[in-house]
Amino acid sequence: MRYAYFPGCSLSSSGYDYNLSLKYVAKALGIDLAEVKDWVCCGASSAHATSHLLSIALPVLNLSHAEKDGFDKLIAPCLACLSRFKAANVELEHDADLKKKIHEVFDYKYQGKVRVYHPLEVFLEMGIEKIRERIRKKLKGLKVACYYGCALTRPPKVCQFDNVEDPQSMDTIVKALGAETIDWSFKTECCGVSMTLTRSDMVLKLSNDILREAKEAGANAITVACPLCQANLDGRQRQIEEAYKTRYGIPILYFTQLMGLAFGAYPKELGIQKLITSPREVLGSVGLM
Amino acid sequence: MTVVFSKENLKLSKDLQTLTGENVMLCYQCKKCTLGCPSAYAMRMKPHELMRATQFGLAEEIYWSGAIWICLSCETCNTRCPQDINILRVIDGLREMSKESEYYNPYPAIPALHRIFMALVERFGKVYELGLALLINLRMLTPFKDIDMASPMLLKGKLKPLPHFSHGAKELRKVMARIRAMEKDRFA
Ligand code: SF4
Ligand code: SF4
Repeated sequence: MRYAYFPGCSLSSSGYDYNLSLKYVAKALGIDLAEVKDWVCCGASSAHATSHLLSIALPVLNLSHAEKDGFDKLIAPCLACLSRFKAANVELEHDADLKKKIHEVFDYKYQGKVRVYHPLEVFLEMGIEKIRERIRKKLKGLKVACYYGCALTRPPKVCQFDNVEDPQSMDTIVKALGAETIDWSFKTECCGVSMTLTRSDMVLKLSNDILREAKEAGANAITVACPLCQANLDGRQRQIEEAYKTRYGIPILYFTQLMGLAFGAYPKELGIQKLITSPREVLGSVGLM
Repeated sequence: MTVVFSKENLKLSKDLQTLTGENVMLCYQCKKCTLGCPSAYAMRMKPHELMRATQFGLAEEIYWSGAIWICLSCETCNTRCPQDINILRVIDGLREMSKESEYYNPYPAIPALHRIFMALVERFGKVYELGLALLINLRMLTPFKDIDMASPMLLKGKLKPLPHFSHGAKELRKVMARIRAMEKDRFA
């Protein structure tokens, strides 16, 4: 199966390990990822704060590249990109006025033919059996809190995926890998990443709430589906521990890294050594590292 | 109690409706938005209060509170509003309409970040994380903020010292210039 692939800015720097593990897993499942030609930034949380038209134009620019190259499906692994892309498609479909303006801005008239998916959606659509077949090593002993963040399910009108307040998609996959997933109430709370540079105090508070809840619910690892959530919960964990005088030491793994481990990949092939909070102890104790 | 809306009071909600398509008058103050809002604790004007203020046309109070910049764009309020108001779209509309020269903003660094972000994207076609962090830290007069977070990330190669260029940047600049021309005097 061939998909246009929009890695987004994060996956070439702080989300390098996400990119690596996603590509590994996709290949193992027979999914062909073709990077969108000459892609540019989706505008993330800054474009829509300055101009609505711009916030739609940036995703459209990338979607038209994919459409021109004959793709009708696109994978966006970062939740900021994903939600901008999905919003652009939905708004263009329902707002004729906006569509007219967008067509004025571009030489190429985007037809709205490219459907946008998160890798979770694609994997589940293929069927959980496909994933089970690939498993070489069960992830027994891991107690995982699946953290979905804001933009995978919200707003439901745009995302049209999973249960908005209590999503299950990542839990389904992680359970199929043989790990245990915990029930907790912070699955879709916001980690605050859009304010990471300007109001770090808010980010520390919100991310601390998430880490604390996961730990109290008995998790020994958290799994995420977005490079921004990951950078916050992992990269800032030391700062959070200092600010709140506590110790978590809880590794934040991408769900694709867990899939890769279960598929029998070496940790290095999945970029696991790049995690800031070391997963060595947790993965070591269950014989995965 | 009767509330009389003058033309002047109604200007803000009308302008917002033209810009965003959202009708703030539908809000009946159930407070569901505020109860689920992760940043309400840090807002001087909570989301439901902000909605009321837009109904009354209290632009000055809204901008002075700075609440529109504290919002994290997490979309929880939209998802839960029983009146199906897209509250974030209203907030984005207020952000677009904000004229910093006219009203005091207690958090000027936040819109500054959005502008620096977009300027770097316009230049390179992609986000340049380290450059963005350095520029906004200079803007906030805290040049060494987060150095404890950045250094392990640099060492692990998770932050790139130099920007990436996209070949699409040229087309992007053309698009951005066209949008600027189209929107030049929209709030005049
Ligand atoms: S949830 Fe909707 S109706 Fe209720 S207070 Fe907020 S904006 Fe108003
Ligand atoms: S989008 Fe903004 S106002 Fe709405 S719940 Fe999230 S942080 Fe609060």
